[in-house]
Amino acid sequence: MSAAPADARREEIAIRASADASSRAPVLVFFATAVAWLLFGSLAGELASLALHWPDLLGFASFLTFGRIRTAHLNAMIYGWASLAMCGVSLWMIPRLVHQQLSWPRLAMAGAALWNVGLVIGIGGILAGRNDGLEWLEMDRALADPWLVAGGACVGIPLLATLARRTVDHLYVSVWYVIGAFLWFPVLFLVGNWPFGGVESAAVNWFYAHNALGLWLTAVNVGAAYYFIPKVLGRPVYSYQLSLLGFWTLAFFYALNGMHHLIGGPLPTWMITTSIVASVLMIIPVVAVAVNHHMTVVGRFAALRYSPTLRFVVIGAMAYTAVSLQGMFTALREVNRITHFTQWTIAHSHVGVYGFVTFVLFGSMYYVLPRLAGREWPSARLIQWHFWLSLGGIGLYVVALTVVGVLQGLVLLEPSAPFQRSVEVTIPGLYARSLAGLVLGAGHLLFALHCAALLRAPARRAMPALLEARPVVVRDAGAVQEPAS
Amino acid sequence: MTRVWLLLLGAAATLGFAMVVLVVLPGALLVRIEPSAGLAPYGEREARGRAVYIADGCVYCHSQQVRDPSFTSDVDRGWGRRASLPADYVHDAPHLLGTMRTGPDLLNVGARLPDPSWHLIHLYDPRAVVPWSIMPPFRHRFELRDADAVGPGDTVVPLPAGRVPEGQVVVAKPEAIALVAYLLSLRRDAPPGAAALLDVDSRFWCGQGDEPRLARRGEAPAAETPR
Amino acid sequence: MIPSSVAVVAMVLLLGASALALFVWAWRRGQFDHLDEQSRAVFDARDPRIERPWESEAQRRERERAHGPPLPAQPGEWGGAA
Ligand code: HEC
Repeated sequence: MSAAPADARREEIAIRASADASSRAPVLVFFATAVAWLLFGSLAGELASLALHWPDLLGFASFLTFGRIRTAHLNAMIYGWASLAMCGVSLWMIPRLVHQQLSWPRLAMAGAALWNVGLVIGIGGILAGRNDGLEWLEMDRALADPWLVAGGACVGIPLLATLARRTVDHLYVSVWYVIGAFLWFPVLFLVGNWPFGGVESAAVNWFYAHNALGLWLTAVNVGAAYYFIPKVLGRPVYSYQLSLLGFWTLAFFYALNGMHHLIGGPLPTWMITTSIVASVLMIIPVVAVAVNHHMTVVGRFAALRYSPTLRFVVIGAMAYTAVSLQGMFTALREVNRITHFTQWTIAHSHVGVYGFVTFVLFGSMYYVLPRLAGREWPSARLIQWHFWLSLGGIGLYVVALTVVGVLQGLVLLEPSAPFQRSVEVTIPGLYARSLAGLVLGAGHLLFALHCAALLRAPARRAMPALLEARPVVVRDAGAVQEPAS
Repeated sequence: MTRVWLLLLGAAATLGFAMVVLVVLPGALLVRIEPSAGLAPYGEREARGRAVYIADGCVYCHSQQVRDPSFTSDVDRGWGRRASLPADYVHDAPHLLGTMRTGPDLLNVGARLPDPSWHLIHLYDPRAVVPWSIMPPFRHRFELRDADAVGPGDTVVPLPAGRVPEGQVVVAKPEAIALVAYLLSLRRDAPPGAAALLDVDSRFWCGQGDEPRLARRGEAPAAETPR
Repeated sequence: MIPSSVAVVAMVLLLGASALALFVWAWRRGQFDHLDEQSRAVFDARDPRIERPWESEAQRRERERAHGPPLPAQPGEWGGAA
């Protein structure tokens, strides 16, 4: 790997530049709309949170009642923010990794438009009271979903076509994750929306919802972490074998997990037990990824003080480990009998979708956007603020709801305790969550403004916006220099 | 490098899928479900009410499942006389089992709270009947009218004094009436079906013990609200 | 029940089978060969040689030994934009 001949090097840079140029426009559109949905979703989430402790606040408008605004929040975050940003990251990473220009970038742009139309119809519908009645699949299956399916296909097809025209032989592990996600998700979405009835409807519902997390959100974001961590550090992943093991075990075990959302429910015990067993087996892919990421970063944690990308992505990867272990634990009947049906679950899902997914996506965007814009982030301080608001907000959120969730669960298990107590013990946590939501929302607002400033303002700084402008003292205190630009 | 883990993985995967195909699938195919005793399909009004329940997102705060009393307190709380069975849900499409209990389980609310007026008041203004409630009001399913603009066909909600502006009354829209009809139809506590075979099957498949369990606190806690 | 189980089991099988098919394809195509080399596929030739300001002296020397003398980062590389 040493000193490649100069013209080979130049050619490589040309390949990278042409890959980046080919995906630039669609990636920008996906990111921009993703951030718009992030803002909308934050507002909806905050309103839902306020409605829980001030129940009469929003009673004046049907579309603001808890059941609707909460659902709009979920759909805006999952299908708006996360999914659109993930499409952007995927469209950007794959051409780079397979050394080929993105095929049909216009089709991908059309995909962004279709997907967004679907979201507006779907989420507007939810607010107006058109809800398919299945959690995670509320958007109208006749009016909204076809747009989403068409939009998704317009992203998936260019990705697969790019892959087919690749000029490299081997597929890097991130490619596995991303392509796997784009193959699995359409299948999941179609089956999930199939109108089943009775308890089968519940089984299929949670089969879908859990896999949407595992085979869509998780897959793309673990893939992104496998790209950005080594890339920024300039070190290959600790063990490439382990990374492939992680991918394949995820592929094999995840599909079986879903029924742990129905523990104790009216479903055949064997289905639930199978899911519990598979949930515990998830320890293999999770530990494989955790060990691998940790060992890649170990000894270089100081880099987190410099690179915003690394900071967000590494914290995201840690949250992935945490949320997975927590999920495994929650799938055990002894734990589940306390935590099921309580705020614990809400905290858990936010460790996953915020601590992990959203952090990795923020980190990715901090890397990708300046490369698309051709100029640097205007302000390192804004990035600092965004980071600490996000971390502080999600920390408060998770701690508050986890604690009151356990209390709520214990009260509910105690037959002689009146139901009223189970409501009252959650109230302090609900207030804390509203505060956390404000903090997170402030971070999102800063991030959105910063993105806008990056894209609109002329370049003001030539140096990258590194968090740490001055040298840090490293452990074996060698001579440390200013960061190279 | 070694490829041992690859081999192990391939082997495990093959085994796993063989097991699913050979063991689980035939086992699953052996059972069929019939509606549990006395469970009729929803009438037109109840079905409309169910649609309102979905549109207004009641499911995000209320579950509709009574879990096995051997490891939960659902039955002891008076939420039903027995754990619910697949047979209780044959007419439910989509399911509304729910994942949150911000509010109480509603699978048997029709048995527990049979008074439609209570429900109407509660839906319009939960804190009029339950001061500590955090349930949102569903005002949009009602109309505020001048007291003298009420016709003979209108259902006036008997709100306690001071809960409506002077000289006005609250009239339930048809959706509110349908929703309450749906709530009152929620009652899935008949003893498990008469067909013995089915009964055994569903209990087996639901992981209950040999005895169908009834409420430990004696008879059904009908009309008594646990709070 | 059983449509439920059939639908879910069939789906699980379908997903599992697609994973298995991918796996077999990957194996046949030699995707599991030369893993060390593959782990470097994220990098352009220059990437491992670019100076990282957070590295200790020992780490810097290790990088130099493995990849050759350090290069200052160009636009578009680890920290900067294109
Ligand atoms: C924000 C969460 C929330 C939503 C949404 C919600 N509820 Fe409730 N519900 C509660 C809480 C908390 C209670 C317990 C306090 C009370 O009785 O008001 C409750 C109680 C009830 C009860 C009385 C149950 C009993 O055993 O005492 C009924 C009936 C009910 N809700 C019906 C509904 C219906 C119908 C909807 C949808 C239109 C709905 N709820 C939406 C939180 C909610």
